[in-house]
Amino acid sequence: MSSRREPLWRRYLRFFGPDVDADIEEELRFHLEMRERQYLASGMTPQAAREAAERKFGDFDRHRRRLRRQDARRLRRDHWSERLDGWRRDVRFALRTLGRQRGFSLAVIGTLSLGIGATTAMFSAVDAALLRPLPFPRPRELVELRNVEVPFREYDGQEEHPSGAPTIRDAIALGELFSGVGAYAVGGLNLSGTGTPIRIRVGVVTTGLLPTLGVRPAFGRLFLPEEGNPGNATVALISHGLWQRQFGGDSALPRSVLLNSRSYRIVGIMPQGFTFPEGIDLWIPLTIPMTFETFEPFRGAILKTVVARLSPGASLDAARDRMRQLWVRLPAPERGESREVLTDPVRPLQGSLVGERREPMLILLGATGLLLLIACVNATNLLLAHAATRERELAVRAVLGASRGRLVRQLLAQSLVLSVAGALGGLALAAGTLRAVQGLLPKGMLDIASPHLDLRLLAFAVGLAGVTGLGFGLWPALGAARTDAQGALKSGGGHGATAARRGRLRRTLVTAELALALVLLAGAGLMLKSFATLLSTDPGFQPERVAALQVVLDGSRAERNANRVMAVSAILERLRGRPGIEAAGAVNDLPMGDQIRMSIRVGVEGRPGGEGVEPIFARYLMASEGYFRTLAIPLVRGRFMRETDDSLAPRVAVINETMARTVWPGEDPIGKRFRSGGREGFRTVVGIVRDVRERMDEQPEPHTYFPISEFAPPDVTIVARGALAGPDLLAALRRAVHEADPTQAVYNVRTLADAMSRTLAPRRSNTLLITVFGLLALLLSLVGVYGVVSYTVTLRQRELGIRAALGASRRDLARMVLAEGTAVAALGIGIGLVGAFALSRVLRGLLYGVEPTDPAALFAAAAALFIPAILATLIPARRAARANPVDVMRSE
Amino acid sequence: MAASLDVLRGTLDLLILKALSWGPAHGYSVAEWIERVTDDTLVIEEGSLYPALHRLDERGLIEAEWGLSGNNRRAKYYALTTAGRQALKTESASWTRYAEAVFAALSAPASLKPASV
Repeated sequence: MSSRREPLWRRYLRFFGPDVDADIEEELRFHLEMRERQYLASGMTPQAAREAAERKFGDFDRHRRRLRRQDARRLRRDHWSERLDGWRRDVRFALRTLGRQRGFSLAVIGTLSLGIGATTAMFSAVDAALLRPLPFPRPRELVELRNVEVPFREYDGQEEHPSGAPTIRDAIALGELFSGVGAYAVGGLNLSGTGTPIRIRVGVVTTGLLPTLGVRPAFGRLFLPEEGNPGNATVALISHGLWQRQFGGDSALPRSVLLNSRSYRIVGIMPQGFTFPEGIDLWIPLTIPMTFETFEPFRGAILKTVVARLSPGASLDAARDRMRQLWVRLPAPERGESREVLTDPVRPLQGSLVGERREPMLILLGATGLLLLIACVNATNLLLAHAATRERELAVRAVLGASRGRLVRQLLAQSLVLSVAGALGGLALAAGTLRAVQGLLPKGMLDIASPHLDLRLLAFAVGLAGVTGLGFGLWPALGAARTDAQGALKSGGGHGATAARRGRLRRTLVTAELALALVLLAGAGLMLKSFATLLSTDPGFQPERVAALQVVLDGSRAERNANRVMAVSAILERLRGRPGIEAAGAVNDLPMGDQIRMSIRVGVEGRPGGEGVEPIFARYLMASEGYFRTLAIPLVRGRFMRETDDSLAPRVAVINETMARTVWPGEDPIGKRFRSGGREGFRTVVGIVRDVRERMDEQPEPHTYFPISEFAPPDVTIVARGALAGPDLLAALRRAVHEADPTQAVYNVRTLADAMSRTLAPRRSNTLLITVFGLLALLLSLVGVYGVVSYTVTLRQRELGIRAALGASRRDLARMVLAEGTAVAALGIGIGLVGAFALSRVLRGLLYGVEPTDPAALFAAAAALFIPAILATLIPARRAARANPVDVMRSE
Repeated sequence: MAASLDVLRGTLDLLILKALSWGPAHGYSVAEWIERVTDDTLVIEEGSLYPALHRLDERGLIEAEWGLSGNNRRAKYYALTTAGRQALKTESASWTRYAEAVFAALSAPASLKPASV
């Protein structure tokens, strides 16, 4: 058959892959030609022979097309299976190799698991809060309209209308921009009529809210438009959960429920899992306008959020412009505090639900990213060390004809195997820490989208594994494949140019690792210092041994202020004489709570307000004298309120030092008079108390306390200080309230210390996480430092031996090695400090009372890294000191 | 030619394998061989011959190589592989059994007619 071989040139063409089309054409043409020949031979004329052959052959083009399709399919299949086979072989090879070097493999996998696990866990939170869309139809259309008011009927048309902001009516009128507008507020109400009264979270929503979100009830119907008018709003929707818990999932629902003793008719049950905005069990209509009557139970503790759905054609920018115009039409002084709102009056709903947690989450994700980077650098380092041990093997294979591409692919397969194992470890780690991660999310977000392990997360981890595998594997793989085979074979590995180059590379990597670790440690140092500062901050009161609970003095029995005042006084009376209770008091709102703070605009007697005068707002609270004694808030001057300061007595107020300073700078405020806005009469300042912080990380604001004996809000917090320990004190407090009124529902029972610690929880978890990340980074980089220094000692064994032979003392040898470690550490830390400086602004938002360039914190971070780094070099340094010339000579 | 029959697909594969059992050949000579040995009773459609050849190649029963034909023309030669040789053996055995069975049925004596119920 050799005579029939195709010409050589044709084979060169094959080098670029078979030319399928030409082959088919040629094959078929040959067939035709042969047939024609046959007919010619049988005596036909050339013309007739050709025609007969073509007739016999049929549709040439169709046959050709069909073959072409068939061959192309085959070619593709071959191509892929060939590749797959190659990779499969390489992966098998990698598994075998790695199985033999278990220590090395575990070190790399462990390192990567840490990095990937931390990053994946953080990503799960970011994914749930920021990336995953809200579980409503077309969630991108949903926006929050900021500072849009729902007007009060009682204020309608009054000059004093609270802020002069645009109202929800203005937004509803913008039909071309918004296909739906709704508002909601959250509060607590007592559900009664079914055994023991329970406290439930209630969503007060305009009739437009649920249609705007695009939700439908599971049973029944949503609110009708007319049920949003004052007077008709006595209908309720209940959550699936409440239906199951309170009504046993019975289809024969009670037709009505009592909420704070008012009757509401149940018109529908919402679908399972719907608790918008957060943990809501029951929804009642928020009327437009609101009325004092329906709003009474929430007064003083309710904040409305206005939500809109953008019309299909409307853009966020258009909505912003339009809402801004609504603001601008108002006179300037009314816009005083809303300048910030003016710049951003419309926000995507998702972003506004996440709120202030967004920044820490992104920073923490960044921190895990740094950790992952360190982990990758560490893995690269380990692989480089590993490559040194395989140098000879690779050189042999290169000499035996393995192509460079093949070697690179094989080494990459190895690092991919390692990173996939790392990803699995990381996922396990992430799954284990998911609960901790949930603490990072705002409460409302947890209801809507909680982080959990799913395919997205899996894809994320696998993606990370792929990227890291390439990232940390490519360099060593290319380096190893470049190995100078002859040199390696001659020297027996571990010496020569390749080894030296690898040593330099590893030093560079460790320097980078140290720099990255320092950035994380600096962050940890700053966060720790902030937290310590925060803990040592004086809140202005003593939270120890103080318990609190809330009661609702509800409508039917305490509709009138006088009745409520009496109820409060009765409870306090009960508490006063009890053994173990040292002091008790009442207030409408405790510090360290998450209630909405109410403020008044301070109108000082004899001072004109109006244009050009910066308005002063003061937080206003209603308290009894016992409140100050219970929380140990010291009186600075004057007197506390007394129980005789009732609604008939001349009006008085106690103010805090900040208010004294702000409103009456350089004057004695005692005896001065002010009023709330322009509505009520003037009241006299009778006492000044120490500042109290609302939250540990906030500066004190002006506060004014009105006597609770003058006006008692429906929602009152009772506080008591006792000699008892937490749970006993809580029980005593609960008992006293129960004795005063057995039908009274109490809720939000807590010790003040707990409440305080809760307000610190986000900061605590942020600090903890960054610190953990910093420590892990420290650990990883120490491993790196140790590895690289000990590697150089091995490399320089011969040199060290010669030096010893020439008379260098052990101390000299150790010092040489130490010097190298110190140089690497100092350089890495120096670069890290520069990086920490550059990134300092990122962290500013998370810090309290500490500058992001705080020298003490940065120095501590540097020391925390430097000292262990030096210690890590001591071990190889001692080995260097033992270098023995005789051994070295022998080993050659 | 009037009596020529279309060749069933499985049968065509078998015939191709048989044609190649004498040594490598190009598509035309496979077709020509079949027509010749069956006295033109079986006519090979070019539209199915070449797909069958390529399919057999893909299945590894035959392999293709370009060579020069007797008149110095480039032609694609097909040769049986070991697997092809094996397939030919088993396939022709089962085909023969099948054909004999059909033939036995068709030529059965009247005494063996189906039982009437």
